Amino acid sequence: MRRKVVSAMLLLSMMAGLFAGCGSSTSESTGGNTGTAKEEGTEASDSSDDAGDEVTLTVLAGQSTTDAGIEDMIDEALAEKYPEVTLEWECVDWGNDFQPKMQQYMQSGLPDIMIGKAQDVATYAPLGVLGTIDDTYLDKGLDAARENVTIDGSTYGLVYNALYQGVYYNKTMFKENGWEIPKTMDDLQKIIDDCNAKGITPFASHMVDTWSIGNVTMQFMMNDVFNHTPDWGDQFRDGKVSFSEDKNMQTAYQYNKLIFDNTFPETFSTEQTDCDAKMVLGEAAMKVSGSWSIQNFLDIDENFDFGIFPFPNQTGDSKLIFEPNITVMTSAATKHQDAIDKVLDVLTSDTELATEIYDYTKTASMLKDVSPTFENPSQEDIDKYAASGDIVDVTLGNNQLVWGGFQEENAKYIASWLQGEISFEDALKASDDRVGASKAN
Amino acid sequence: MKEKRYLGMEKKLARQYFILIVPGFLIFTVGLIIPLFLSFRYSLTDWDGMSANMKFIGLKNYIDLFHDKEFIESWWFTVKFTIGNTIIQNICALLFAVALDSGIKAQKFYRAAFFIPCLISAVIVGFVWLKMYSNVLPAINQWLGTNFNFMLFGNAKTVLGGLLIANNWQWIGYWMLIYLAGLQSVPAELYEAARVDGAGPVKRFFHVTIPMLAPAITICVVGITTGSLKVYDLLISSTKGGPGRASTSIIYQTYTTAINGRQYGYGSAMTVTLVLMLLLVALIQVKGLKNKEVQA
Amino acid sequence: MAVLKRKKKQDDITAAPYTKATFVTQIIMTILAILFLSPLAIILNYSFKTKRELYLNSPLSLPEALQFGNYVKAFEKLNMQTTFLNTLFYTAASVLILALLCGTTAWAIARGKGKFFKFAYIYFIIGILIPYQALFLPIYTIGYKLNLTNTRHGIIFMYVATGISFGVFLMNSFMSTVPLELEESARIDGCSVFRTYFSVVLPLLKPAMATLIIMQSFQIWNDYLLASLYVSKKQLKTLTVAIQSLFSAQTSDYTTAMAAIVISVLPIAILFLSLQKYFIKGMTVGAVKG
Repeated sequence: MRRKVVSAMLLLSMMAGLFAGCGSSTSESTGGNTGTAKEEGTEASDSSDDAGDEVTLTVLAGQSTTDAGIEDMIDEALAEKYPEVTLEWECVDWGNDFQPKMQQYMQSGLPDIMIGKAQDVATYAPLGVLGTIDDTYLDKGLDAARENVTIDGSTYGLVYNALYQGVYYNKTMFKENGWEIPKTMDDLQKIIDDCNAKGITPFASHMVDTWSIGNVTMQFMMNDVFNHTPDWGDQFRDGKVSFSEDKNMQTAYQYNKLIFDNTFPETFSTEQTDCDAKMVLGEAAMKVSGSWSIQNFLDIDENFDFGIFPFPNQTGDSKLIFEPNITVMTSAATKHQDAIDKVLDVLTSDTELATEIYDYTKTASMLKDVSPTFENPSQEDIDKYAASGDIVDVTLGNNQLVWGGFQEENAKYIASWLQGEISFEDALKASDDRVGASKAN
Repeated sequence: MKEKRYLGMEKKLARQYFILIVPGFLIFTVGLIIPLFLSFRYSLTDWDGMSANMKFIGLKNYIDLFHDKEFIESWWFTVKFTIGNTIIQNICALLFAVALDSGIKAQKFYRAAFFIPCLISAVIVGFVWLKMYSNVLPAINQWLGTNFNFMLFGNAKTVLGGLLIANNWQWIGYWMLIYLAGLQSVPAELYEAARVDGAGPVKRFFHVTIPMLAPAITICVVGITTGSLKVYDLLISSTKGGPGRASTSIIYQTYTTAINGRQYGYGSAMTVTLVLMLLLVALIQVKGLKNKEVQA
Repeated sequence: MAVLKRKKKQDDITAAPYTKATFVTQIIMTILAILFLSPLAIILNYSFKTKRELYLNSPLSLPEALQFGNYVKAFEKLNMQTTFLNTLFYTAASVLILALLCGTTAWAIARGKGKFFKFAYIYFIIGILIPYQALFLPIYTIGYKLNLTNTRHGIIFMYVATGISFGVFLMNSFMSTVPLELEESARIDGCSVFRTYFSVVLPLLKPAMATLIIMQSFQIWNDYLLASLYVSKKQLKTLTVAIQSLFSAQTSDYTTAMAAIVISVLPIAILFLSLQKYFIKGMTVGAVKG
């Protein structure tokens, strides 16, 4: 019997070895063509053997929200136009794993293409590792996309799509109760009071996810702090302002409490999908969130009617938050600039691909002349704010106060404060103490 | 003459034994020991983990650690988690083993039922319990009309309890098997002799079973403590160190400091303290428990 | 000897009267076993539901219809045929190398006389305590400098390096079961150390080998951290890493994730259930010998 065990394992491993091809592909670039890729019989890698100058590019994709899956669309479009270029994808979760992976690659050499967020450009470009993007491709995108990925006149990122963030609200519910879109905090408070009186939960939220706390806090900061002090983060590092002293910043933090007091009692055990489901089912009236919720909303009920408005601020002039999302960066040290350009070409000129991606991710286009075709009930509202110029790019805040190591950590303290574990002053002080980690470099 | 040849042979043997050790020694050294030393080296610098600049700052990182509230809190959580696990897991595993050894039918079924959870990756275990606490158990409340607070991960005060349940669910079966084997290796004559001496079941348990289980207890205690001190996988898919920072273990804190916070040197100092702590704990335990074994 | 003893004990058990107390114990253990199995039942239940059912119905209700579509989707999302074979290959190869290396190393340490061998033993044992989880960046640095990252042999190398401590410890505790006389007579017959090991010692170590192979298999199969560090390329990924990415996506697709869990647990559970005897023997070796 013992022998059987050992030989069974041996057999298994040999089988695995057979299937998996040679178990020791040495170099990274050949890894794509040997082994399992062949086993799958991907057309690209089969034909690549006899093509003359076929190139395999490595791609690190830090995905978030609803991006997972777009890699197959890009592969397909690329195979059609430039079959000689193959992409070797490495898809990771942007929030948790993109930075660690980048850190690894800083030591071993960056992948040819990196897909992250606009704020990553500010982190990595100053280290001199990112390549500039050619105007040919940038010109196909909206001008607004360039601003925050340009450093000292060179543009290091191609912004591909965008998210909108604000308060999603149940349109039907608002109509039935005669609620107007709130402009000021007083307006909002009236709606909250009316909700409570009628037994409706004012806000849906899922504070179990620290990132969601961090996300809404930045939304509040944009409209209450950065709108009149655009360089707040730099002043913070210069010691001119601080969380403990700045009343506006404290107000922004306090909005978390407003939400916490007016949301599900079990918000620290409610995950996003459950939270969105409750919203769709009419248990809550509003949700401070971003475009990533749309996919969930429509998944649960395709007829759910919702809109979006910016979370009001003290001055009553808050703007809808706009966040450049998928941002393509390239390695400064790549050996395959031609091939990279081909990829950029496909991304920017293949409108069919672009539409497919926007529809799939339920996001807004950052390319000229391309717009998504999916049914987005909140589009009407977005167009309204866009027309009046009431839109603000959150990259401004994200560049000055980085997510990893700062916003993310602050959110943890906000959670502790909401739960009554620490005082409000402690939460503010914790943010002040972290000043050294507030910027990437 | 004979002596000399014998010595020569010994030498030759020693060389051959030496050769046998070399490959494992090399792999181990390169894969684990050198990184450990690298980590120590980084811990003396202010490296951010990305840029090319690395400044030697001596023991500053270690000094800073003593004033770092987050670091101390994460150690405190880890210690509580470890102590809780060591006590609960040992007692439950032993009780389960005794129960299974008491002559109940279908022993195999119970063995499998308790053991299967430890075959699952801790990443998955965390996720499963997240769903249990937030969705499944509250539904039981509705069903029974009761009002227990099952949302253990949702509050800083209960998250430790929730994680202990998840971790114990996963590992009790494993340690139970070890105790079971220990129990089954206790010669029946010993029980017989104790019975003749007039010892009741409780007395027999404490005077025969426990001393005979000493080696098993050593293994379980050391295994559980060192395993719990290293807790990380369980957290990444469940509480992510939260709510707030309530369930941030020392490894989790190291990771967020070194990577997300871009303080690689500082994070490395944390690693070094953890390694030292693990060595210390294991040493004390092995020594202490071994002494007990001798006495028994 | 041990086997004999155990047999005797088991005879005792069957001879022991099934008293009231035993019956109560049986009831209690049955309840506990059901509690232990219920999370698994929940996973299985979830994996057959539609997304909508998950939101609208009670988590305890049975699925309206068995959604095998979740499994199909999980297969696709996990890139199953690749990740499954990858995991299988890494596990099998690492475990075999570990079995080979740990056996020879432990034996040489046990037999070799002198300070070096004593030192070597402690050196290896220390490895059990090193939290490689905390060393991931230097581990990556080393791996990259040696061209091991994003290669199959690289991850196998790391599994061997991190598993060898425990393996040597385990094998070493088995060595006392190998009678010295046999080795000596083999040596007198002119066998080299290597021949002696393979022809005399190894056959005697087979149970220990089975143990080592089984224990390491399920650890490596379930590993997350090293795999996420060393083999993050799509075509090199392992099952656990692929599953984790299903959890972390913001629009978590729970039904698919649950189906994926079932798929990943199934092989190792089947392996356990069919080889239960060896699992148990293997895991408990140290406990009995001390």
